[in-house]
Amino acid sequence: MITNNNTKKVAFKTLGCRLNQYETDALVTDFDEAGYKLVDFDQSPDIVVINTCTVTNQSDQKSRTVISQAARKNKDAVVVVTGCMANNFKEKLESQDNITFVVENNRKSSILSLVDAHFSGEILHPEQLPQDVFRYEPVRKSLHTRSAVKVQDGCDNFCTFCIIPTVRGRAVSRPVADVLESVRKTIENGFKEIVVTGVNIGRYEDGESKFEDLLAKILEVPGDFRVRISSLEPDGFGDRFVELFSHPKLMPHLHLCLQSGSEKTLLRMRRMYDVEQFRKTINQFRSVYPEFNFTTDIIVGFPGETNEEFQQTLDAVAEFNFSHVHTFKYSVRKGTRAERMENHVPEKIKTARSAQIRELSEENKLRYYQSLIGKTQNILVEKATKTKASGYGDLFVPVEFQASEIQKNTIHAVKLTGLSGEGEKLVLLGELIEV
Amino acid sequence: MHLIKHDIKIDESFYKIEEIRQLTNETFSLKLPRARFAFKAGQHLSLGIHGDYQSREYSIYSGENDENLEVLVKEVDNGYFTPKLRKLKAGDLVEIHGPFGKFGMEAKAAETGKFVFIASGTGIAPFRSIVRTYPEIDYTLIHGVRYANEAYDPHEYATDRYILCTSRDQKGTYHGRVTGYLNNCTFAPETHFYLCGNSDMIFDALEILKEKGFERDQIHCEVYF
Repeated sequence: MITNNNTKKVAFKTLGCRLNQYETDALVTDFDEAGYKLVDFDQSPDIVVINTCTVTNQSDQKSRTVISQAARKNKDAVVVVTGCMANNFKEKLESQDNITFVVENNRKSSILSLVDAHFSGEILHPEQLPQDVFRYEPVRKSLHTRSAVKVQDGCDNFCTFCIIPTVRGRAVSRPVADVLESVRKTIENGFKEIVVTGVNIGRYEDGESKFEDLLAKILEVPGDFRVRISSLEPDGFGDRFVELFSHPKLMPHLHLCLQSGSEKTLLRMRRMYDVEQFRKTINQFRSVYPEFNFTTDIIVGFPGETNEEFQQTLDAVAEFNFSHVHTFKYSVRKGTRAERMENHVPEKIKTARSAQIRELSEENKLRYYQSLIGKTQNILVEKATKTKASGYGDLFVPVEFQASEIQKNTIHAVKLTGLSGEGEKLVLLGELIEV
Repeated sequence: MHLIKHDIKIDESFYKIEEIRQLTNETFSLKLPRARFAFKAGQHLSLGIHGDYQSREYSIYSGENDENLEVLVKEVDNGYFTPKLRKLKAGDLVEIHGPFGKFGMEAKAAETGKFVFIASGTGIAPFRSIVRTYPEIDYTLIHGVRYANEAYDPHEYATDRYILCTSRDQKGTYHGRVTGYLNNCTFAPETHFYLCGNSDMIFDALEILKEKGFERDQIHCEVYF
């Protein structure tokens, strides 16, 4: 790769989902291989890349704050804003003096070309960049211990609350051969855990190959690695999907997005399943893998959500025993169908409902983690000091244990012995079984 | 330095309206050239008016092999979008994106399966598309409207397959709501149900069908708002 900018410093900031994190990691790899130096925002970067999120009002606000802080701290830097907010508020962002380039999601993978061109004096507009949502190189240099592999982008579901089909576009799947090649290279690059990711990966479709077929092929890639699945819509998979989890490489955790426990709310959200189908899926998994860990997303205060409907959500969260609930207060997204619905729920009620879900989620988490004490987990070490190490186990539970001379990105069997912290900071403690 | 390939792309999303078919006082269909727009019966599209920033989703009203692409529109009093659609004339441009959605069935299933289509109002649109695409399909269409004159293109369905439920007059096959009719029906156990219309109708119909013992996997929903 040719570059004349090998002394330039670049800083990245990512907001939002795991897909965004992956895309930033792939950009980090691009810039690193081109000779740029990776630095923090406060180390006078020449380029700052902000990969934004627009899934809620809060995400917009966070994205705006990061953009203005980055630009203020680094007045001479080239500021590149990309990600879903860049799609959603493109014209507004382009009119801001503190932003050099606004790059839409489908051109994000070519940001290095844009920056290279800028420093060599070429006038290149982001719209001249190629459009390709799968052009990313396999991650080598990363901000994370595990690496995602992107298999799909976009969504055609058009849930009534969701802006994602607008900012990520129509559902497209990456060809099986490309995915497998990316998995092989990511493992060659030293990653021990890959996360299969996309916007709506359950709808993966490449010719005759559906998501389960792709997953089965990924699991057969030779090498010492384990596989996780990023968040998944709870529809469109069957018995074979459950069976695949008996493969030792596939980790027993799913983030299965319920959004509401009320049938009426689910219909208004235009979700593709009902509570009974969700229950069936959870029960099917747990009948085969009793410790299987489920986490979920819940939206509270969707337009028209009554107290009774919210209670049904509380009941579902308690029944399904999610070990973590990512709770969102419903947030109006311009142009979505829910924006035009009647009976929007006051912010105060949303906040109260959100607190109730969070409280219940923490009770669930405590109970679930307690049930694991005495059992063994294989921990992928993410942090290690001279005396202590921590990381996530097979079940995607956080574990800390005493250990010396343990390296990051290694996997160790640990017997779970207790708990530490509370609420969001609750972690399992363990003892190293082998080094 | 990476080489950038500059693509030239022609915008293929604008369609010229060929005809506006007035079906009732409030409801009309927009007929567009089908051009290269390929879709599966039951899918929907997103429709925008040239020069307007908003768009809406509409189920496709025409069959897969019809000469035209057609959508069914009911004007909403004091709405933002449909009164603007109402003012369009033949020759005006609309912007189309899609097709979207999984509502519908594979061709093989359409040839061999047994189907009950349940619609309220303009929720009949995907079923007309399915029936026109698969003329031999074994179906019963239960359509709920307020008045019998809101039965859009009723002559296109075999009389023994089309049940018109009218809630405000007695000129339909059944006087009352779709759900009232459903309550008194029996269906073969292997039947697949397709529901399209407002969320209250769908919710109530779902409950009735589940109570009758049908699995959720046999019931397919497309909610209109």
